[in-house]
Formats: sequence, C-alpha cells, structure tokens
Amino acid sequence: MSVENLKAYIESGVLELYVLGDLSPEEALQVEEIASQNPEVRDEIAAIELAMENYAMQNAVEPSADVEKKLFEKLGIRADDDLETTSATPQYSDEPRIVRLDNSDGKIRTLRFALVACVALLVVSTAALFITYNKLNDAHDQIASLNLDKQKFAGVVSQLEFENKGLDNMVAMADSKEWATIRMAGQPFSPNSKMNVYWNKKDKSVLINYVAMDLPKTDAQHEYQLWAMVNGKPVSLGVFGKTDSTTNEALQKMQTIQEAQAFAVTIEPMGGSVNPTMEKLSVMGGV
Amino acid sequence: MTALKKSSLTEPELVLALQSKDPAVLKTLYSMYSSALYGVISRIITHTELAEDVLQETFVKIWQSAGHYDNTKGRLFTWMMNIARNLSIDKLRSKDFKNSLKNQDIENNVSFVDEQNKVTFNPDVLGVKQLVENLKPDLQAVLNLVYYKGYTHVEAAEKLDLPLGTVKTRIRLAIIELRRSFN
Repeated sequence: MSVENLKAYIESGVLELYVLGDLSPEEALQVEEIASQNPEVRDEIAAIELAMENYAMQNAVEPSADVEKKLFEKLGIRADDDLETTSATPQYSDEPRIVRLDNSDGKIRTLRFALVACVALLVVSTAALFITYNKLNDAHDQIASLNLDKQKFAGVVSQLEFENKGLDNMVAMADSKEWATIRMAGQPFSPNSKMNVYWNKKDKSVLINYVAMDLPKTDAQHEYQLWAMVNGKPVSLGVFGKTDSTTNEALQKMQTIQEAQAFAVTIEPMGGSVNPTMEKLSVMGGV
Repeated sequence: MTALKKSSLTEPELVLALQSKDPAVLKTLYSMYSSALYGVISRIITHTELAEDVLQETFVKIWQSAGHYDNTKGRLFTWMMNIARNLSIDKLRSKDFKNSLKNQDIENNVSFVDEQNKVTFNPDVLGVKQLVENLKPDLQAVLNLVYYKGYTHVEAAEKLDLPLGTVKTRIRLAIIELRRSFN
C-alpha cells in the first residue's frame, strides 16, 4: 500500500470502527491483515484504543457492590480473599450456577430433613406398634392357657382335698375301735367294683366314704342303693350319688341299722326301690 | 496513566492469568475495569438493574471466552469493552428490555429519571462531558449515537441521514479530539 493510500485508509475512519467493534468479521480480518503489514496502521489502532480506554476510564461509573458479589457467586468463585487455595483448584463451570440469594434453600433442606425424620419415625412407630400388638395377642393367649391350667389345677386341688378329707376320715375310723369296716367285693354284674361301708358298733350309724369306693358310673336314670341283709332279708339304707359327686363331703351318712349280717349295693332307678334288683347287684360283703 | 491506576499487574500478566483461568485474576480485573465497563454499559442502558445485569454478563463472558482473546489484535480493554457494548446493544434490543420499559409506571418515573441522570453529577465525568460538549455539534451528534446509544455507524448514518463515509469521518474526528485532550 502506497503512503498516500495508507493515509487515506487511516483517515477513512475504518480503524475507529474496528476499535468500536463496528465492522463485519470480514472487514475486521482485512484491517488486521493490513495492520500486521503496516506499523503506521498498527500505531494508529493502538492510539485509538488508548483514547477509547482513557475515555472509558474518565467516564467510569461505580456499579453497586452487589454486582461483584453476584458475579462471583454465579461463577462459583469464593468471594473471600482466600484465593490462594481456590487458584490451585479453580471452581468454575461453563453452566452458570443458580444461587438462591435468600436462605430459603437452607430452610427447604431443614424441612426435607424433618420430613425424612418424620417418615422414619412413623415407620419405626408402626413397626413397634405391630410388634407390641403381636406380643399383646401372645400375652392374651398365654393368659387364657394359664387360666385353663389354673382351673385344671384348682380342680385337681379340690379333688385332692376331697380325697384327703375322705382318707383322713378313713384313718380316723380305722384307728377308732367303734367303727367296723365292711369290705364289699365285686359281684358277677360288676366284677371290678369294690366299696367299704363303715358301721358304728355303738350307735349303729352307717357311713359310706366316696373315696373308699370304686363303682362304675350309673346313667342319669339310675343310682346306687345300699342294702343291709338282716336275717336274710334286704333292708334299704338309702341311695347315694355317683362317685364324682360335686359335694365336698367325702362321707355320707346312711340310715342306721341295729343288726346286719351283710351289706350290699345294687343299681336301682332314681329314688331307690323297695326291693333290691338282684340282677344289678354290684358289690356285697359280710360283716 | 489513569487507565491502570488500580492495577497491580501489567496487561500481559493479566492476560496470561486470565487465560490460565486463575480465579484471582478475575477479582483483579473486576476491581480494575468494572467501573470503566459499567460506564460504557450504563450509558447505553439507562435502567440501573438491567445495566448491572449486563455488567455481570460481561464479566461472565470475559471469564468464559478468555481463550478467544488474541493480544496481537488489540488491547485487552478494547476486547472487554466490545463485549460490554455488544451485550448492552443485545439487551437494548431484547424483549426483556422492552418489557422493563413498559413496566415503568408513572409514579416511579420521577425518581427513575433522576436516578438515570445521576451520572451527570459525577465530578469525574464532568470534564469529559464538557469535552464532548465542546465538540462541534455534528461530531457530538455522531459520538452520542455511537458511544452513548450503542448505534452502529450504519444505524447512525440512517438516523442522521448522512452518507456512511461522512459518519465514519466524523467518528474519526471526534476520537481525534479525544486523543488530543488526553495528551
């Protein structure tokens, strides 16, 4: 480019537009090419740049301090002065980071933790309730079975007391000289049966002891009847209940008899009979 | 020179640090140039909030495209100023900006206008204003449009109904006046 052309080029104002960024990329490239070959153009550009820079500095307006804070937050650069550590591992990202300026983020995090804690508590509580409910059911079952056991034991105990009482009476009567014990043995109608009758020699009273008898159960329409054989004739001494009688008394007083050679028991209709049913003679024993 | 009054680094050092993405340099750069760039932006965009948004965007772009800066093609500040000007002009033409203008209600207008005019009373600026006002009116008109309004020279030519060449010459003459005043 000739000196005249160069001067004209410089004076055309294209370099000012170049500095102001007001040229198309092609035009800008052309300016750069010419500048690289012509120091005059280069110097002119530098002078224009410096003028614009000075002009901008002279026209400087201080932005609010907020902008700097927001900028460094946005770029993820720590705003404090401790930049030595951050420079080692620069923390920037191409994606602008979204930074909430209020502290609602913290509140949301707190609420989130609270929610998680509540859910966890709910789960734990439900589990605990379920376990407790199962244990309660088990306990109810155990109480029921213990009650059953208790009733069973109570039954056993009352049975034992009943038998104990009868045995005591038997011992007392055996010790006493007043009482005669008549053992009645099983008869063909009921071979395995046996029973004792106690007869007071002094006042002639007759007792039977439920403990000291082993008779099969009768049906609901029948009961046992005790007979005394007086000179070959049967005399009724009364009826008695079944061995599993619910009365607590082991002993039952029968009718007195002045004299007798033998005692016998038959099965008779409820209420007893006038004469014994000999086919149903259960036990018999002589005095 | 006032240009580097806050500087602790020379321009080549700044460029090197910037291109190696050293976060510390961005703080230095900000303290050195934010007010100069904000001066450029706030004259194109008079709405304070939007202007500050653009300033922030400018530094984000400087940070992210530091690799594209070529120091053989011009000064660092020229590169940064052109980023600021381009972003300002983009903003001025964006929907965002048009909406914000519509949203100015009458009650706020008085204080808004006052706020916009605040820079007029900045003592640092007075001298330059004076200088620009001392320019011949035809030079002043072109410089106002190009520098303060963000017009391209083509738009300025249309606006002033002048040939492109005349606009270019007037821009050159105005800048020569500025150069003379700074010497």
